[in-house]
Amino acid sequence: MNSANDPSRVERIKEASAYLRGTLEEGLRAEVTGAISEDDAQLVKFHGMYLQDDRDLRGERAKKKMEKAFAFMIRVRFPGGICTPVQWHTLAGVARDYGNGTVRLTTRQSVQLHGVIKSNLKSALAAIDGALLATIAACGDVNRNVMCNPNPFQSRAHAAALKTARAISEHLTPRTPAYREIWLDGERIAGGEPDMVEPIYGKTYLPRKFKIAVAVPPSNDVDVYAHDLSFIAIADKRGDVAGFNVMVGGGMGMTHGEPDTYPRTGDLLGFCRVEDAVAAAEAVVTVQRDWGDRSNRKHARLKYTIEDHGLGAFRAEVERRTGRPLDPPRAFAFTSTGDRYGWTQGEDGRSHLTIFVENGRVRDIPGGPRLLTGLARIAERHDADFRFTANQNLIVANVARDRREAIDALVAEHGFANGISGLRRNAMACVALPTCGLALAESERYLPDLLTALEVRLDAHGLADDDVVIRMTGCPNGCARPYLAEIALVGKGPGRYNLYLGAAFDGSRMAKLYAEDLDHDAILAALEPVFAAYARERQNGEHFGDYVIRAGFVSASGNGREFHHDTGAKRRA
Amino acid sequence: MKISPIPKTAPFAEDEIEVLNRVVGPASATQRAWLAGFLAGLDAAHAAPQPAAPPQAAEPLTILYATESGNAERLASDVAKSARKLGFKPMLVDMADLELVNLAKARRLVVIASTWGEGEPPARAVHAYAELMGEKAPRLDGVEFAVLALGDTAYAEFCAIGKAIDARLAALGGKRAVDRIDCDLDFAEPAAGWIDATLHALAPPPEARGTVIAVDFAARQPSAPDLGIVEAEITEKIDLNSSRSDKETVHLELALPAGFAYQPGDSLDVYPQNDPTYVDELLQASGLAGDAALREKLIGSRDVTTLSLKTLQSFVAATNHADAKALLDSGNAASWIAGRHLIDLVEAFPAALSAEALEKITRPLGPRAYSIASSQREVSDEAHLLVAAVRYDSLGRQRAGVASSHIADRLTKGEKLRVKLRPNRHFALPAPDKDIIMVGPGTGVAPFRAFVQERRATAAAGRSWLFFGDRGFTHDFLYQLEWQDALEDGALTRIDLAFSRDAPEKVYVQHRMWDARRDLVDWLDNGAYFYVCGDAKNMAKDVRKTLVRALADVKGLVPDAAEAAVRELEKSRRYIQDVY
Repeated sequence: MNSANDPSRVERIKEASAYLRGTLEEGLRAEVTGAISEDDAQLVKFHGMYLQDDRDLRGERAKKKMEKAFAFMIRVRFPGGICTPVQWHTLAGVARDYGNGTVRLTTRQSVQLHGVIKSNLKSALAAIDGALLATIAACGDVNRNVMCNPNPFQSRAHAAALKTARAISEHLTPRTPAYREIWLDGERIAGGEPDMVEPIYGKTYLPRKFKIAVAVPPSNDVDVYAHDLSFIAIADKRGDVAGFNVMVGGGMGMTHGEPDTYPRTGDLLGFCRVEDAVAAAEAVVTVQRDWGDRSNRKHARLKYTIEDHGLGAFRAEVERRTGRPLDPPRAFAFTSTGDRYGWTQGEDGRSHLTIFVENGRVRDIPGGPRLLTGLARIAERHDADFRFTANQNLIVANVARDRREAIDALVAEHGFANGISGLRRNAMACVALPTCGLALAESERYLPDLLTALEVRLDAHGLADDDVVIRMTGCPNGCARPYLAEIALVGKGPGRYNLYLGAAFDGSRMAKLYAEDLDHDAILAALEPVFAAYARERQNGEHFGDYVIRAGFVSASGNGREFHHDTGAKRRA
Repeated sequence: MKISPIPKTAPFAEDEIEVLNRVVGPASATQRAWLAGFLAGLDAAHAAPQPAAPPQAAEPLTILYATESGNAERLASDVAKSARKLGFKPMLVDMADLELVNLAKARRLVVIASTWGEGEPPARAVHAYAELMGEKAPRLDGVEFAVLALGDTAYAEFCAIGKAIDARLAALGGKRAVDRIDCDLDFAEPAAGWIDATLHALAPPPEARGTVIAVDFAARQPSAPDLGIVEAEITEKIDLNSSRSDKETVHLELALPAGFAYQPGDSLDVYPQNDPTYVDELLQASGLAGDAALREKLIGSRDVTTLSLKTLQSFVAATNHADAKALLDSGNAASWIAGRHLIDLVEAFPAALSAEALEKITRPLGPRAYSIASSQREVSDEAHLLVAAVRYDSLGRQRAGVASSHIADRLTKGEKLRVKLRPNRHFALPAPDKDIIMVGPGTGVAPFRAFVQERRATAAAGRSWLFFGDRGFTHDFLYQLEWQDALEDGALTRIDLAFSRDAPEKVYVQHRMWDARRDLVDWLDNGAYFYVCGDAKNMAKDVRKTLVRALADVKGLVPDAAEAAVRELEKSRRYIQDVY
């Protein structure tokens, strides 16, 4: 029996893993199963992979004398979401040859390849490595992909933010040679002292996953409030970055029915200079490493450490470790969390095209958009880079003015979507079924249909073109950051969702639970009168999330534990 | 389990029968074969031990057979049986074991030869056949011979091997005692007549006949009393491929009647029925729709799909259709036939056919053999089959294999399937302490499931290594959970897998053999038996080639020496195939 303070099972696995090696090599050799051991399944996350199975097939497998339809999801890190055309070509090739033929852009600017069976993992990883990409630390209890606003139209500020994001990413990447040994047939490097192998993490790494984002106001596309650690670029009068506001303790995950778990928006810790950002990040990470809860994984994210120790104590410890006090945070203002679709032109004269990718799924749809082929063709002709946005979209960046036409022609030829409603262009869904093991309900496969039904209603009320942020997840862990959406649907069970309303359009306030266990018809029935009232009663420029609070449909959500207070519909429409 | 193979009716005292049963009952296949050979040799060395036997030895008769599916072997044993009654002393020789010099010593020779695939000899007969055809073949002056050729008119090179042997024996100086007969799948009746005539033609003078006890050759297999065709209830039917697979491989469990006994490696002959929809189309095209009696007959007992030159000839003879005749005379008939079925012929050359004529241009519907995928030690009164549904499109028409679609599409759990045991003593497990290597991709894995079950049930000490392959790991891994269990409980020592469509580069079992060649050679050096089951056209050949290459590579042999090493394995019955 574990006592409350004993390390959790995952902690013991990490401890015994010899820096994430475990028995992964033996597991890869066991051909008769597509799975790996339960312990290795925990460790493989640190290498950027999840062992999943096709849940659509679970019912038939045992009868057919087959184990579950196991396959791995491979997540590739792209700090700041930047990807060269050659790298894109590689990803599409791996997806075609070893995966399910689709490339999934994530809500954190990385890329997921689904359906890679065990016998193909090493081939896939070798191809990824060959394109100078890596999957290590894309998942697991470590710092994951460092996000950064990808739209370089504010060229100078963006360049500085990206540089910082990359520096932090590099600094916090695990050093264990296990990744090369196992996946790339690298030479085994034996033993070593913990502080030499992993100077920042040590042998048990972090208590839980750790997420970092860098924002360039006025865009809050990266959702700075949702991460363990965020940096908000503060520009000086010339448009150069003077430093960053440091924000800590954001995080989306919670568990249904457990009020001790909650999503949380980050708190401002202070301001640091550009050159101090990496040290600040390391200090925040190591305080969490040492203070975080290692016995209860549902209470292990930094947000709970901050709640338990208090922001002041946390700041003091960070400052003690960096030896440099933080300045008070500086003023900033965000306007929205969404992407700017279509062409934008940067300060440097280069053009950037943001392409809508529904739920981030890049594929060819027979009779519909052929994004996979279209983007491959663009990549062949494009000499700059692709960028993945935090809203699961894709930017063809740094296009010379005279090449815009050629790209427009390819976009048209391959039927990329246009004329998208205000709701759909602000929509996000996590992957959920059939691959995600945590999903309680559909998400990516269902949201497009729900949106179509909602669009009919919005159109009836003249709201078709209004930006309204809607997000759906198949479970409460919050991969699509639902609690920061003006309308959020969180899976509760098959075909059932909890409906949240009232997050701020700029991502600074969470939504509040409005109604529970709604099926498709109930979702439509619940939203229809709110849309009608919004169309009728909204003030000039008033966003939907702000309106539903002012109009009294829900209370404004407080932070932390208060997320669960004062829930439910306050006004019957 | 007590096995009493010697029947109470045997000519021994009761206590002697018990002693014999104690020895013969638990004897392995190898031990039984040795005993049989030993006793036969004893007979050959001495006069018949029966006091009632005549003083002079019976006339020797050599019966040589080249068999793949077992038909030639069964006919050969029929010849032996009848020969004994006529006073011959028959000697059965599998062409796999033929020493050519002995052939020259034979005074009377009956050859039963199958033709396989596209005019090839049965796999086990390949080497002896090549020697017989080669320059070093001995003269056969003074040898009286007769050849019975088995074949299938559905293939272009009908009875090619029998024809070639017949010509070769004459060329080497042999005297043809009886004209050759070429038999199609419905060989039983013509073969019986031919055997009778041949034996009488070769018969020794009447005074040589003695009293010989006719021992039924099949009785050597105590576990296989011939129950003939039985109706077995389907107690389970599962498509083992995932719903995402393009393939459909049916796992069938059949309830057997009491006393039905089989050995691992044996097959079941499945007696299928034709697709009624197809038969209706055929009747319609022939202007015979509505003939219920004919319909029933065609569904149940005639081969209404195969289209061969012979079919075309019969059709022309029955209809005198000018265009069909022109096709036959044009020399293009063989290529026209390819990919077509009888229905295509009848539709292409519309002619009113009588019921008798339509029936006459078809062959009897033969059985289709499927390896048994279970061991009775594990499933007792059941037999499991693994049946790949054959479906394809040819010339704009959906086609299906008769037997496989009968099982996959038209039979459900609770219904009955007509089956008959087809023993295969050549494909049996070795002594329990011997290692076995099994190469069985696709449905070729069926007998190896039986092997592994048997070895588990008998707690055999020998190691077991399976090479399996199919299209995709996720959707086509037949019996995956069972192999996992077998690896866990030790009935299977090792499994190496080859899935051809999982990655851009196709991987087949022979590639995995090559990867594992050191271990493979190590196992063989340790006395392992090597089994291959499945596709004859490509897989079995590639597997053999790879084994030759593996031996050459690992042992540093020149290709000829490696080839000789594999031939030695074949000769010593350690390289064993059941391919189709």
